[in-house]
Amino acid sequence: MPHSLTGTRIRQHRTRAGLSQTALARQVGISTSYLNLIEHNKRGIAGKVLLKIARELGVPQANLTEGADSELMGALIEAASHLLDHSAEISALAEFAGRFPGWSQLLAASYRRSLDQEAVITALSDRLTHDPFLAESLHLMLSNITAIRSTAEILTSVDDIEPDQRTRFNAAIHTESKRLSDATEDLIRYFDKTAPQDELPETALDALDMPEEFPASAVAQNYDPAALAVEFQADLHTIFGYLADLNTDAPEIGVIITNASGQTLRRRALSNFPLPRHGNACPLWPVFHGFSQPERPLQDLIELPTGAQFVTLTIALPRSDTAFGATPIYQSAMMFTPRDQSPWPPQQQAAHAVGTSCRICPRKNCAARSEKTVL
Amino acid sequence: MAKHILIVEDEPNIIESLTFLLERAGFTVTSEQDGAHAMSRILDLKPDLVVLDLMLPNRSGFDILRDIRNLANSPQVLMLTAKGQARDRQTAEDIGVTCFMTKPFANSEIISTVKEMLT
Repeated sequence: MPHSLTGTRIRQHRTRAGLSQTALARQVGISTSYLNLIEHNKRGIAGKVLLKIARELGVPQANLTEGADSELMGALIEAASHLLDHSAEISALAEFAGRFPGWSQLLAASYRRSLDQEAVITALSDRLTHDPFLAESLHLMLSNITAIRSTAEILTSVDDIEPDQRTRFNAAIHTESKRLSDATEDLIRYFDKTAPQDELPETALDALDMPEEFPASAVAQNYDPAALAVEFQADLHTIFGYLADLNTDAPEIGVIITNASGQTLRRRALSNFPLPRHGNACPLWPVFHGFSQPERPLQDLIELPTGAQFVTLTIALPRSDTAFGATPIYQSAMMFTPRDQSPWPPQQQAAHAVGTSCRICPRKNCAARSEKTVL
Repeated sequence: MAKHILIVEDEPNIIESLTFLLERAGFTVTSEQDGAHAMSRILDLKPDLVVLDLMLPNRSGFDILRDIRNLANSPQVLMLTAKGQARDRQTAEDIGVTCFMTKPFANSEIISTVKEMLT
């Protein structure tokens, strides 16, 4: 069974050259039906016949035999063998990939994605099973729920309960509800602390141990990151992280840190300013301007397609572990806050229009658009 | 004479509701919160049924169940636990549990189960 798409490529080059199957078959010295089988990847091809076809089509032989299809075919075979119950026609794989390359890519990509998701689910399942904190929390919560359910059922279904017993049952429900609430909050805090975005390496925000006196100083300094950086002898990325981590009395502050490839290294979104988890942000965001002006503090006023406006502060800094003689690897951090809450007065009146992510951005005639919107 | 049930459970509010339910159903009920004292209570009281939690302070329910099964007149054991995973159930059955129930439970369910076990 031929696993390559050589036949498909021969067919593409032949039609591009305006040759009929009959004409090419005659020039090469094989039957039209045999060429037809080759073109549909039902017969393997090599040696002199392949060389002749390449000559007649005026292309190097390698153009017919080499392609990016081996990975695709491998993925399709793996998908078919992984899900044997579905009896995929493996013998017709090359024909399928040749006739429907787009669907084949989609199938292979979906298969790889399902494998990735399986790996994540397995990891989470292992964690649920083996993480001592989670096991203890779930056990505690189930015990609380058991006590509440059983006691509440007694109170609602038994009429002749002694008053002191009824009081004890009511107190039990109160106590267990409080314990359940505390356990739930602990669990949420635990997940917040261990969320994937907090496990990303090498950003200033890894040092999330905010000094105790920072919140008071932030208020006193009117949330000025430059002044706070001096006071706490910390770099601005760290200060951005502290400011975004302040409690609800402070202005709403979000932050995003990316590397020059656009990969999101750290993020704290606001409800009206969503941030992509894995890149694909709007290239018009000031965070990306930082790379063109490294180490220069930038302030901007931007407007999302929703009309929401944000004051942004941006600075790109080299990674702290850059060695002497090495090319510095810059990371750019953008801190942002809604215009109406901003402690930093905007330096311009007109906001720059930006988007979110091209696929979900409705802006028309955008010079920065890299893919079509689905909207 | 009323059948005697010993509840070995570390959560006092669960003990309170279980005791209320089982006494209303006509049983004599005693309780113990510490896993380390469970066996001495069982030897003293000689209960007809032990309602046994799995995760207890100082001694696990599995260990207690093993000791119970080594007694000459071994009482029935209803294991009542928040750890409802298949392997916990299997371990309990391998040791010789009479019945295995998971928390949370419906009151009617536990009463009917206990009645069934003791009649």
